[in-house]
Amino acid sequence: MTRTIGQRAAGLLPPWTAVAAAILVLNLLSWSFGQAPAATLSTAIAGSWGTMYGVGQVLFKATPLLFAGIAVDVALRAGMFNIGVEGQMAVGSVVAAVVATVVPVALPAPVAISIVLLTAAVAGAIWAAIPAVMRVLLGAHEVITTIMLNRIADALIAMLITSALALPGTVRTADMPANTLLPRLQVWIHGFVGSAASVAFPLAVVVLVTVHAWLKLTRSGRETVWVGLNADACAAEGVPVGWRRWMALTLSGAVAGLAASGTVMGYKGYYEMGLGAGAGFGGIAVAFLGRGHPVGLLLAALLFGTLAQAGLAINAQVPREAMGVLEAVVIIATALATAWSPAPASRTTGAPEAEP
Amino acid sequence: MPSPAVCLDRVSRRFGSVVAVRNASLDLVRGRIHGLIGENGAGKSTLLGLIGGMHPPDAGRVLIDGEPLVPATPAHASRRGVGFVHQHFMLVDAFTGIENVMLGAEPVDSLHRLDFAAARRQAEKAMNDLGARVDLDALVAELGVGERQTLEILRVLVRGASIILLDEPTAVLTPAQADRLFAAVRRMADAGACVVVVTHRLREVLDHCDDVTVMRRGKVVMTCTVAETNAPALTRAIMGAEPPPPVERPADPGMHGSALALSHVSVAGTGTARTALHDVSFVVPPGRIVGIAGIEGNGQTELVRAIAGLLPVDSGEILVHGQPVTRLGVGPRRLSGLIVVHADRHRDGLMLDASVFDNLVLGERGGRHQRALVQRRMNRFGIVPSDPALPARALSGGNQQKLVTARALDRPVRAVVLSQPTRGVDLGAARAIHGAICAAASAGAGVLVVSADLAELRALCHEVFVIARGRLVASYPPDTPEEVFGRAMLGGSVVAGGVG
Repeated sequence: MTRTIGQRAAGLLPPWTAVAAAILVLNLLSWSFGQAPAATLSTAIAGSWGTMYGVGQVLFKATPLLFAGIAVDVALRAGMFNIGVEGQMAVGSVVAAVVATVVPVALPAPVAISIVLLTAAVAGAIWAAIPAVMRVLLGAHEVITTIMLNRIADALIAMLITSALALPGTVRTADMPANTLLPRLQVWIHGFVGSAASVAFPLAVVVLVTVHAWLKLTRSGRETVWVGLNADACAAEGVPVGWRRWMALTLSGAVAGLAASGTVMGYKGYYEMGLGAGAGFGGIAVAFLGRGHPVGLLLAALLFGTLAQAGLAINAQVPREAMGVLEAVVIIATALATAWSPAPASRTTGAPEAEP
Repeated sequence: MPSPAVCLDRVSRRFGSVVAVRNASLDLVRGRIHGLIGENGAGKSTLLGLIGGMHPPDAGRVLIDGEPLVPATPAHASRRGVGFVHQHFMLVDAFTGIENVMLGAEPVDSLHRLDFAAARRQAEKAMNDLGARVDLDALVAELGVGERQTLEILRVLVRGASIILLDEPTAVLTPAQADRLFAAVRRMADAGACVVVVTHRLREVLDHCDDVTVMRRGKVVMTCTVAETNAPALTRAIMGAEPPPPVERPADPGMHGSALALSHVSVAGTGTARTALHDVSFVVPPGRIVGIAGIEGNGQTELVRAIAGLLPVDSGEILVHGQPVTRLGVGPRRLSGLIVVHADRHRDGLMLDASVFDNLVLGERGGRHQRALVQRRMNRFGIVPSDPALPARALSGGNQQKLVTARALDRPVRAVVLSQPTRGVDLGAARAIHGAICAAASAGAGVLVVSADLAELRALCHEVFVIARGRLVASYPPDTPEEVFGRAMLGGSVVAGGVG
């Protein structure tokens, strides 16, 4: 069934509403702080997409959000809500930072980087596998267990950092050797000089495309989506429902762990307490705004990355916390517009079952 | 001629590009039972929805007692005395029966506390009118399909609706329950109610209704009193052509070999949630079609789920072609040649929001040649609309059932279990499904059909078992009179230890 132009336009209503609402609220905020709205808006745009440096910073900020968005989306497709991306990211980041310091310095960079990325992914996957096992074997709801594991991860990392991993007098780990650091994009694109955008961003895009190809083209991936649509029917047809759920949630954790690439490996070169915090929850918003579509996820991550970068740019005129408000406004506007926009006919629950 | 309670004045309604009801005009008077028949997808449910305020008309007017139904909302229609009994249950699973009956019309005492006693009195009275019993204190999740249907009807009755719309109310009832329902419906009509019954069973129209309206492809093609018509005329009006001949069941191959066998299978019950199975034993030989008859909720669901591998058995063995599969999961059982189609196609059969394509290959192991497989299944079973990209939700009930049947039978199988294979399905689709079942048996599969429709079992099967309270209580040849089956269903001829 080919969708009409009208239906496509209706599908795009939520993101446009979100952007419009964000601009409106930004104007109101800057006006209330005694600033000319237009000036604030132009500063925000100039500070993000106005310069190559700004663009690089947007990409840098969008990177962990994109990883987290993919992670939340994968679990969502299988019918599960992974609130634990935040904890899985933190665990992956710490493990990446620690493993990087023990990888032999003599190893060529591609090999060393691969090892660190792999261990970060495995660490995130293990952290997600715990609620996955609890869900599949015991039926414990993943929303509760992943939230709790976030807190456990938080506390555990704080304990480990302060008692063993941190350099004396700090809350950060030792510097990682050069062969485990991801090159910055400025190496190839000169305009990005000074920005922290690294190879992690294209890596996130590759992960995005790979994950969606898996969901669309492979049997295991399609069955994962089907389990999310009707687990009872899948069980009745012999689809290994528990295994597919376990796989989806574990993969979700692995992708979350890879977010370490953007922060630890591509930016700081070590882990410090609180590095990348919040991106895991931001990923929920990205997945929500992206509506399960790969391009949607990418654009949503870029939008939130833009807001974060623009917040820094306007800080002199309007407190950058304004951008925190805007993020929330974007999410609420999306929710409202999604509820209001006419759903595709196939999704309308009120339509009669019959009538072909 | 009394003025009509409901008047449809040239109403049309479309969904997307599909015109569900086209320029339909109809007068429905009080004191009479109106039968509304037509194939699935003919527009019956939509027509009912137009009267019930579910769908505002795109053109034309809906008049209730001479006044237009504006705004066309279910709440407004309800205030105007329209009561809607849905085909797909609109019940809260986590509530008890009485809570569901009360929901939205809760009686309260002077302090505005919920008055359960009053609600119970209303429900008891309605149950007496209906001649059906439901455990009002059981959770809906624990009730069988038939009991849920009864609750739906109770809900409308206690609201005192005088225009009562019943969307396939008898699809899940036994013939005796259906007769009792129609007796109650007749009392409501005699008391001045206007009753509209959508059904697929011509016998119910001819036996119980006063007027009949036939719809085809969204149009009202025939309206007359039942006295003026007969079954062949109605069938022609429904199909717009001569109906396909009834399916001839293949010759009885006799009791040679075993495609599917149960040996002393028992499953513990869990109070009201699950009926226990007691020592169930039978053999389905290759090429034979064996039926399981019984009143809803006597262990049919548990039996089917146990055979499928979704419900672990406590003792006994299940064998497919002589090989025990008792400890295997669903997937390995399928690999051994066992296929099960469950009763509830929406819950256990379809992913409604996934495409017809995805639904047709759900559970397939091989990833190649899926396009050809889907095309073959759609063609062989005549699934329409023939666009595999449509969501399964867009298909009519009959075509949804064809879909799950196609997925099950279009493959080499040794043992097939079909539960309620033609529930809520029109005549054309039912005949197609029966044909496929017979074809599977002719090809050497042992077939077990579990159905609440005794006529179906008697037409299709070589042998029919009767299940009552989780036991097989009797085994009859298909030409046994219905009364004999009826007595056995009520547990009249309990044979310890099952049969076969």
